[in-house]
Amino acid sequence: MSESADIHAPGVEVKKSCCYFCHQNCGVLAYVKDGEVLKIEGDPTHPTNQGGLCCRGNIALLHLDHPARINHPIKRVGEKGEGTWEKIPWDTAIAEVAERLNQIKAESGAEAVATAGGTLRTDDWSRRRFMNLFGSPNGFHNALLCWIPTFNVETIVSGWSPFETDLGTSRCVILWGFNPGASAMPGMRGYNDLQKQGLKLIVVDPRYSETAAHANLWLPLRPGSDTALALAMLWVIIYEGLTNNEFVDNWCLGFEELQDHIIDYTPEWASELTWLDPELIREAARMYAQNTPSNIQWGCTADQLGKTSGAGMHARAIMRAITGNLDCPGGDLMPGPSSYYVTDEELEANDWLPEEQKAKQIGSNKFKLTSWPGYQKIADTARATWGKAPTSEWFCEAHGPSVFKAILTGDPYPVRALIISATNPVNSYGDAKMTLEALKQVEFLVTCEYWMTSAALYSDYVFPIAGALERPIIHNNYGVTDSLIASQRAIQPLYERKTDYEFWRLLGLATGQDPEQWPWETLEEAFYYVTWSFNEQGYQFGSYDEFVEKYRFFYPPMHYYKYGANGFCTPSRRVELKSSILEELGYPALPTWIGPAENEEDDPEVAKEYPLVLTTGGGFMPYHHSEEFNIESVRFLSSDPFFTINPEKAKELRIKDGDWCWIETRRGRIRQRANVEPSVDPRVIYAQRGWWFPERQEDTGEEPFGCLESNVNVLTSVDDEHCDPIGGSWANRGLLCKVYKVGYWDETDTSFSIPGSSPEPGVTVPPSEQKLAYEFIPYEPKPTFEVPEGLTWDPESKFAWDLELGLYYDPDSGWLIHPETQVYYDLYSKYAYDATTETLVDEATGQHYHMETREPIIATPTDMVGGEEL
Amino acid sequence: MTRYAMVMDQRRCIGCQSCTVACRTWNELPMDIIYNPVVTEGVLGEWPNVHRTFTPLICMHCDNPPCTICCPCKASQQDEDGIVWVESEKCMGCKVCVNSCPYGARDVNGHEGFVRKCTFCMDRVREGDQPYCVATCHQKARIFGDLDDPASDVSKLVNSLKTNRIFEELGTDPQVYYIPDLGGVH
Repeated sequence: MSESADIHAPGVEVKKSCCYFCHQNCGVLAYVKDGEVLKIEGDPTHPTNQGGLCCRGNIALLHLDHPARINHPIKRVGEKGEGTWEKIPWDTAIAEVAERLNQIKAESGAEAVATAGGTLRTDDWSRRRFMNLFGSPNGFHNALLCWIPTFNVETIVSGWSPFETDLGTSRCVILWGFNPGASAMPGMRGYNDLQKQGLKLIVVDPRYSETAAHANLWLPLRPGSDTALALAMLWVIIYEGLTNNEFVDNWCLGFEELQDHIIDYTPEWASELTWLDPELIREAARMYAQNTPSNIQWGCTADQLGKTSGAGMHARAIMRAITGNLDCPGGDLMPGPSSYYVTDEELEANDWLPEEQKAKQIGSNKFKLTSWPGYQKIADTARATWGKAPTSEWFCEAHGPSVFKAILTGDPYPVRALIISATNPVNSYGDAKMTLEALKQVEFLVTCEYWMTSAALYSDYVFPIAGALERPIIHNNYGVTDSLIASQRAIQPLYERKTDYEFWRLLGLATGQDPEQWPWETLEEAFYYVTWSFNEQGYQFGSYDEFVEKYRFFYPPMHYYKYGANGFCTPSRRVELKSSILEELGYPALPTWIGPAENEEDDPEVAKEYPLVLTTGGGFMPYHHSEEFNIESVRFLSSDPFFTINPEKAKELRIKDGDWCWIETRRGRIRQRANVEPSVDPRVIYAQRGWWFPERQEDTGEEPFGCLESNVNVLTSVDDEHCDPIGGSWANRGLLCKVYKVGYWDETDTSFSIPGSSPEPGVTVPPSEQKLAYEFIPYEPKPTFEVPEGLTWDPESKFAWDLELGLYYDPDSGWLIHPETQVYYDLYSKYAYDATTETLVDEATGQHYHMETREPIIATPTDMVGGEEL
Repeated sequence: MTRYAMVMDQRRCIGCQSCTVACRTWNELPMDIIYNPVVTEGVLGEWPNVHRTFTPLICMHCDNPPCTICCPCKASQQDEDGIVWVESEKCMGCKVCVNSCPYGARDVNGHEGFVRKCTFCMDRVREGDQPYCVATCHQKARIFGDLDDPASDVSKLVNSLKTNRIFEELGTDPQVYYIPDLGGVH
């Protein structure tokens, strides 16, 4: 018999909570009695999971009261990294942190305070709100590796990221670098069900993944070469005439230029780069373009290719458009921001951040589309279309690795304080050695955490944060979709834990922010504010909890072809295959091939030393990012880190299954155990991400918790030249490496360098002197009208000017206009227009002239108007 | 009559081991007891023509269970609906049944001194719910129900598809049926 607690006993309440261990936020029913959660199970009525829960979801109760959880605010009393702490009350801790932040702000400006966020373990609109009110533009996430660059590129091409696949009536979907079999379990079930009904599944993955195993067509490409594949598929679609001509003719701009631009990107050209048979590329392109409506499902790979990322996103955005799949039944839907509820952006108080502070955002001079310069253009166009803008948290941030470099080098300016919430940057960001060093060296470090991690260990203060079951959660795709799924907390936070919202609110108030800016004391109050307008949609509820209990979901009526009324949300109201925003920001306006971060063609010398191609960053069960490594019931499923190597290559390198091996790139080396199986190409190494060893509590030396030992981010590069200039993402896929067995005498090398690939430790090239993968293309807007003789075209203001008189030319009316007085002047005679007499007047002499003939008008008594002589 | 049985759809199982963890947390099992491991031989074949199958294991709730006959304490028993279970109060942990089970589906752990095994979550099933491993499976790779009810999903699947049973030749008449993954799209 089971000894489980009785969930049917009297007094047991069922709370509609949700899982908080990945982005799916599967519905969870929590059985609660007297403030204690007895059991949880998957909610069978939840549309996402329909009762299912994976191993991560099922351990929520073990996570809730795990002995290693941090339950009280703690303050460092020993040396940094020593691990000696004392418990202090929340209000004292908050007051001390606030005082220090204000001091740094007074001395070095608000921008010297940066914050790092995690991946949807938080309500980060509140962090943004704090930062905006505080005056710092330097908040960031690992967003650049996860959808955000894709969203922004697709938005500038087609007006919103077409990320919601309407699979019910779709006939073909490409799962591109996306393995729902390990990272979106409910999705995997959906694909399987639909496949039975005829949906064709094209899977692009260098591994025989759980998803590739179910593909109708599997493209096992060279890791990192996705952009070449996308360009070649585009070539097939265009040159085999598989486009939707009606849509292209009516709605797309720049098709002919695109056609000429990609003429050399043939499947044969891509074959060498992708290792795929040209016929396979053709087959995939035909399957996708001929089985419309069809979809491309975004996968993280798109954002983890480093410098080649932007062009790939652009190419895929074009594929969706020219096949006529945008916003149509069965196609890729573009919901736009919600007009029904308060969006995240509206909670962020972005208006409070002064323009001069926006300009100081670190990395915004290099990676422009995902920071203020590009986001501002997106937001302006979106407001003109929808009245609302995309979220700025995630979508408009400082470049995380550049902030870490600024901490270490003071370039472009010193960053003195860092607040980390729900992330361990050592595991999550590229170049872990450099990141760890930045955490050790930053003057003031505060962490909001569940556990003691290598980042928390170097902190001055650590705050205990409420997790799954202890907080209400709204799921709305980072605030850029129009639907909403709401969940409630099962219980109040245990011990002294608080939600991160409360942390930012308390810190905001303590730093002197206006209490009126923080009107909601709890998340429930804030969420009631977000959802209350549903009451106008026929819903009836008086609190957020009541909304969850009675309705829980909000799905607005489905509208297809929304562009039909006002066009697309782009500057030209059309799908800009040739993107005007990319052009204005100085990037190639059409997708242009550039090799991945490291490759055999561009770096033959590196390839000689490091002959294998490394791919990493992909999710694998049972972990999510660097989480759950400390939960025994999960860890036993996968207790050591493993990399996968093909048996043929393993034999050549004399590596046996289970052997501990070094994986080495130019940045350093890590060790993992060999999983010898033919699930990758003999030229490819797949290494697991996220590894650290929380069980090594005593190990608080140079590398606490073995945080560099098997951490794949020791191998990745965040050098500017390896990042995508458009979106700033760095490469997890397609790096060059070598693999060899671990020997007894081996020791790890822990010194860092900037750039990471430098043979010398320390800072050898300051960040501001580092080059990008390619240079900006100076943008000079050309006049869209004929500039009259004598006038000068100014690309900055986009007007033609009479420089002598300071007048600009209005091409619609044909007049010159004074920018301040708005007085009209005749283009030829330069006389001002006098509206009262409908004549021209020479302002210097007061002489009037005839409008048509420009002959002087001699004053006569009949020309007297109102007794005033002309 | 009711005869509970389970179908494992190997075409859908992706080896995520959620059932393994879910069973343990729902039934609050000690760390050294697993009722339902998922096993695989790994990826077989030669790149890129490869294949992999996952096999979720569980107590087979046999119609002819060797583990009940051999129990000296009558602790290991079978109910009329086919569920095989161990009455912990009667069990003295002699492990005779552990050795008799060809499926390795039961064990005694060091601290408790009695045998534990999968009960098809009889507490849930008798309340009208599904066993927890079935409810928690995202892929719906586990199907549970009454084999004697012609309208049940298990009965329809077992009677319409070619299914396999493990060690059928031993005469245990196991009541867990496997729909094999024969490759291709289904």
